[in-house]
Amino acid sequence: MEPIAIALPVVLPLLLSLVAWLLRDRPAVSRVFLPAGLAALLGSALWLFSIIHASDVPIRVDFGSWEKPLGISFQVDLFAAIMVVVAGIIGFAGALFAMGEIGRVIWRKGYGTFFFLLLAGINGAFLTNDLFNLFVWFEVMLMSSFAMLVLGRGKYVFEGATKYVVINMVSSFFFLSGLGVIYGKTGQLNLDEVAMRLASSGSDPVILSSAALLLIAFGIKAGVFPLYFWLPPAYPNTGFATAAVFGGLLTKVGVYALFRVFGGAFGFLSEIIGPLFLVVGAATMVAGVLGAASQFHTRRILSFHIVSQIGYIVLGLGLFTQGAFAAAIFYIVHHILVKTNLFLAAGAIASTGRSERLEKLGGLLKGAPLLAVLFLIPALSLGGIPPLSGFFAKFLLLREALREEAYVYVVIALLVGVVTLFSMTKIWGEAFWKESPRPGGIEKFRKVQLVPMAMLGSLTILIGIFVDPLFRLSERAADQLIQSNPALVQSVSPPPES
Amino acid sequence: MELIIAIMIGCLAACGTRMLLQRSLFRVLIGLALLAQAANVLVFTAAGLGRGDTAVIAKTAKELPEGHPDPLAQALVLTAIVISFGVLAFCLVLLKRTHRRTADADVDALARVES
Amino acid sequence: MGLLLAVLVTGIGTLVVVYAAAYLKGSDRIGRFMGFLFLFAGAMLGLAVSENLLVLFIFWELTSISSYLLIGHFHEKLESRKSALDALLITAGGGVAFLAGVLMLGEVGGTYQLGALIEARELVQEHALYPAIFLCVLIGAITKSAQFPFHFWLPGAMAAPAPVSAYLHSATMVKAGVFLIAIVHPLLGATPLWHFTLMGFGAITMTWAALVAMVQTDLKRLLAFSTVSALGTLMMLLGMENTLAIKAAMLFLIVHAFYKGALFMVAGAIEKATGTREIAQLRGLLRTFPLLGIGAVAAALSMSGLPPFVGFIAKELLYEVKLEEPPIGMILLVCGLVANAANVVVALKVGLLPFLGTRGNEEFKNLKPRGIGFWIGPLLLGVGSLVFGLFPGLILGKPVEAMVQQVAALDFEVKLKLWHGFNLVLLLSLITVISGLVLFFFRDALWRFGEFLRRRLGWSGVAVFRAGLAGFLRGAGAITRGIQSGNITVYLTIIFLVAMATLGGAWWLSGYSPSFPTRGEFRFEVLLLGLLLIGLGVLTVRATRRMTSIFLLGCVGFGVAALFALYGAPDLAITQILVETLTLLLFALAIYGLPGMKEKVAPNPRSWGALFVAICVGTGFTLLTLKAFDVQLADAVALDLAAISLPEAYGKNVVNVILVDFRALDTMGEITVLVIAALGVFAMLGDKGIRGGGSSMERSPVLGASARYTAPLMIVFSVYLLLRGHNEPGGGFIGGLVAAMGAVLVHLAHPSKPLRLFRLGPGALMVVGLAFAVLSGIPAWFFGEPYLTALWGGSLTLPAVGKVMLGTPLIFDIGVYLVVAGVVMMLYQTMERWQVAYRMNPNSTTSS
Repeated sequence: MEPIAIALPVVLPLLLSLVAWLLRDRPAVSRVFLPAGLAALLGSALWLFSIIHASDVPIRVDFGSWEKPLGISFQVDLFAAIMVVVAGIIGFAGALFAMGEIGRVIWRKGYGTFFFLLLAGINGAFLTNDLFNLFVWFEVMLMSSFAMLVLGRGKYVFEGATKYVVINMVSSFFFLSGLGVIYGKTGQLNLDEVAMRLASSGSDPVILSSAALLLIAFGIKAGVFPLYFWLPPAYPNTGFATAAVFGGLLTKVGVYALFRVFGGAFGFLSEIIGPLFLVVGAATMVAGVLGAASQFHTRRILSFHIVSQIGYIVLGLGLFTQGAFAAAIFYIVHHILVKTNLFLAAGAIASTGRSERLEKLGGLLKGAPLLAVLFLIPALSLGGIPPLSGFFAKFLLLREALREEAYVYVVIALLVGVVTLFSMTKIWGEAFWKESPRPGGIEKFRKVQLVPMAMLGSLTILIGIFVDPLFRLSERAADQLIQSNPALVQSVSPPPES
Repeated sequence: MELIIAIMIGCLAACGTRMLLQRSLFRVLIGLALLAQAANVLVFTAAGLGRGDTAVIAKTAKELPEGHPDPLAQALVLTAIVISFGVLAFCLVLLKRTHRRTADADVDALARVES
Repeated sequence: MGLLLAVLVTGIGTLVVVYAAAYLKGSDRIGRFMGFLFLFAGAMLGLAVSENLLVLFIFWELTSISSYLLIGHFHEKLESRKSALDALLITAGGGVAFLAGVLMLGEVGGTYQLGALIEARELVQEHALYPAIFLCVLIGAITKSAQFPFHFWLPGAMAAPAPVSAYLHSATMVKAGVFLIAIVHPLLGATPLWHFTLMGFGAITMTWAALVAMVQTDLKRLLAFSTVSALGTLMMLLGMENTLAIKAAMLFLIVHAFYKGALFMVAGAIEKATGTREIAQLRGLLRTFPLLGIGAVAAALSMSGLPPFVGFIAKELLYEVKLEEPPIGMILLVCGLVANAANVVVALKVGLLPFLGTRGNEEFKNLKPRGIGFWIGPLLLGVGSLVFGLFPGLILGKPVEAMVQQVAALDFEVKLKLWHGFNLVLLLSLITVISGLVLFFFRDALWRFGEFLRRRLGWSGVAVFRAGLAGFLRGAGAITRGIQSGNITVYLTIIFLVAMATLGGAWWLSGYSPSFPTRGEFRFEVLLLGLLLIGLGVLTVRATRRMTSIFLLGCVGFGVAALFALYGAPDLAITQILVETLTLLLFALAIYGLPGMKEKVAPNPRSWGALFVAICVGTGFTLLTLKAFDVQLADAVALDLAAISLPEAYGKNVVNVILVDFRALDTMGEITVLVIAALGVFAMLGDKGIRGGGSSMERSPVLGASARYTAPLMIVFSVYLLLRGHNEPGGGFIGGLVAAMGAVLVHLAHPSKPLRLFRLGPGALMVVGLAFAVLSGIPAWFFGEPYLTALWGGSLTLPAVGKVMLGTPLIFDIGVYLVVAGVVMMLYQTMERWQVAYRMNPNSTTSS
């Protein structure tokens, strides 16, 4: 059953996307089909997770039965399995929100199809162990995100989308170049094989230049400083469910690739890359949080906070210890759940208060107390308030940073945390506490939109309560990630004879 | 021989970059197309240039002759070409849509989204 | 210690809840308010009983958050929101420092258990991080306990309803900082750093806040500043570190909680009843609120330190402590005198002034006595002060003793007495009361002096903080506008420069030295082609007309195709040519109608910078390619693939075998990208475009005639290409492109008929094709094999094509064929409809 379980998170959404296309002329059916399909996807993700969790080692499937390294392999370790599950959760939550948000016309244009394909691309990127295949899934993900983006109704949706598309294509250009060079050098595409050869060949100009190109490519996608420019214009100008799913998942796929490639195959460069990531992480945190502080528009604030939070995660990568990787994985999971939830909250706020600009919002605490509670949970979690997930994520990461004596970064991270809290209180104060500036007060909104928020919010609380199990899981995942790095683990198996 | 190809790749990349940094969105798109060409040729050549044989096994033979070109690199480039075609086609329409809304195909029009 | 705090929290908490019920009667927010209040009480209790520092921190932050939510109770007021934010930022900022301290303690001591840490105190104190740990914990404590210069949030927090002020901001939460310092004293104390820092902060806060308090006229602000002063006193005492000082601190902590809690409730009750907190307007309330007045007077007397109230005992102890430590003690003594005298003034102003005298204000004539909830709290606390003062040893002795032992970490017997006899301390008390009375007498002059100072200086903590915050926001805005300028050219410039800098850095680290590989044999045609492509590239950049640049771009594409052909990649070359043709066509169709299609583009002001970036990128990629040629390896996976292509995958065209079998998953992703692109284009069209229906292009007779014969041929040819692809150049992709061209040709010849291939529209073709491809991998599951494992079932020999192996890879390739055909047709159709729409209404595409 393993081969099915591992391929299903990609194959299932591909098939579902076709069904969704056939159903697109019946918006009422599409509306239900999307969350139903994503629930099925989440189920398959959980199935995969249970298999991987039960196994001590990563499980590999060679597509087409062409044994590694001949064909393409998915090598699923815990990190990948966790990410697939989280992607499933986010997809499901986003689809539930889309039920209430997306109008008939957008369903007709194939919103559901793109949604499924986006998930297929994301899952493929999480699962694959092949550099070129990663490129392909990235493109699938990007193309579907392009399409979903332009289906948004924002005033400047095309302007934002153009920046997003152009910069991401530049990223693809660097990815392809770096990939070509590394393939030319090693003759391999399978990440394990590449890793093995790199570990034995040391650092020569070709390998380092390929590393540099991949760094830029993934850096753009992950949204690190100074490469994140595409993100702030794109997310605030599209649909809410779309922005929520993007905000939760897209950058994290880039971060995931950074972990896979630089925590794994290029791990032997840790002495160069580690300090670099520390600096980049810190700069990303600061730049993002400053950007957020200067905005007065809910989703713009949140978009800049994505950048800032990516900084924390990259910091974890830069520390290059097992504990830091574990903390970073924990952080990623927390961050995805919380960020998606906040974007959904922004959607609910906008549909209730009829604006996203803070000066035009107000009175929501009185008008929508339930929404207030559901906003407060992820907002405080993002601000690192215990006992929510964000506190523990930060705590674990900072503990590792202290162990590595990276004091400067601890200070920066802590200060950024305060400013993050400030941003969240800004939204709270303006949208919820302040009196509504408009005489009409607030609109009724669909209660169904609160369901995914409640779901994600309770997950955030649950993580806060059950920190230990999730952290132990992250530790195992980090351990497997480190094991995939032949430079950190003295590999005994010689390269296979050709 | 490699020298001229290397210079050519560099030149295509430079031209692509130069086009990307222009005000006209139309040219930005041409720049992306040029960059894609450069990357494709880079992947093709980085795997090593053969002598000009094809990667097709002859009618009577069982294997490729010695010194054959890298078929995998060719397959990768083929995939990349097709992908970049798809993305470019999409961009083209996006450009048209952006342009239709902004009434001028100029990058400055895009700045409004962030003000 | 923790137990005492817990008792305070629950005891005063009970009174406050009763009081709050009366205070907020009739408010629709009472439920929420009580919820937050209980949240706070729970957090505070947790804080009090935590033995684990991390757990303590969690409760610590919870108290900050609940305080934020409670201060913002009247959240429609701007000032309320601002004050709540000030309080949160200061306390949470301090909390962050505290967290850093806890983290460091955990790392240094290996545990977060306070008891275990105290056992390892030498380890901690000798560690290099000790000063940092101490400072972090200190910052946490002094922000929470509102010490100078972070004191200003506490007066601001008076925007909260009175029960909150009484409970959080005088009796309990603000004591958390003191509590923290007290419980970590055995761990971090007894060092010069501890000693002087705490005494310094404490003394300054105590004196300064007392002076400020004296000149206030708002009841609650008066009390707030005097609370700050009291907290300063506590900090100072904890900094003095002798057992007597700690005894004094513990006693004072309890005493203060009693009288200040009472006075806050009194202030709240007065405000509620009269609608004002301005002392000047309040007179003669005793008659209306006799019981409240009794409580207030008792609390005020205790605060003034008059016997027989417990405040007297506390103050005596304070003086005694200071006298015991001569050099510094003297300074502190003077500070203490000033502060206590000021306290007398405050106490009299709050506790006596509003109640004494005749009713001055007409408005207050009709005041009705209020219910029990209003006066029971203050009365009990005030009377408590008296009872404790009369019988100090009985009730307070044991708890204080236990606390002192815990904090000082040694045995110490505590004896509390009201009367110590005539001595220096009593004299000091006397001086205090007298000077306090004198100052009280001149209170109006003092107030004027204070106002004068305030106006002259124009400075206050909160103003500075808010100005700082605003400045930070402006700075953040400026930086963000600098980085995120909105101009994509700037973004791309930065990205490319960073990329090239990274590349350069990589080379510098690895010792790049340029080399000029000469392995490949010289081929004249390649040289020519290379030069041609360089020239074409430059021309593309220089072209000023859109049509020209499109044409040149196409030429570059064909040149690249030629290069592929020259180096043995026929499949690539064919694909490239077909794709370039299509691109050319799409571009040409798309720009049709763009303004300035033929005009020159305006000169570019950023061109020199752009040129520089371009040259950087060009040089970088040239150097990169040169280095990439420099390698040769033996165990490339491609060699294995070539070797097993025929025997195991039954195909002679290795490239095609890779595409449909070895790496079919890549191809699946690739056609998915195509499908998304086409559907995305479809979706981007306005609804008008979708409903546009058939084309209105005129029918061309010549085209019609030729299409009638060529189109079916092309479609047949495309199937041939598809089938032979496994063994010779061709395959699903190329076949699909050719088929699409055939279909388009038919359509051009008969514009009235919709665009179809095999009777399927573009959308259907794509769906069917993708379904073929995706489903072709599934049968393998039934045989227990991984997805996309090829299943072969015999072969077929066809004329012209030769032997065709039947199997799932063929189905997969057919899927590719259909998808590609569908995508191309869809793109064409979209563009065509766009044309039609444009031609019918040119204005709709040129202006928004």
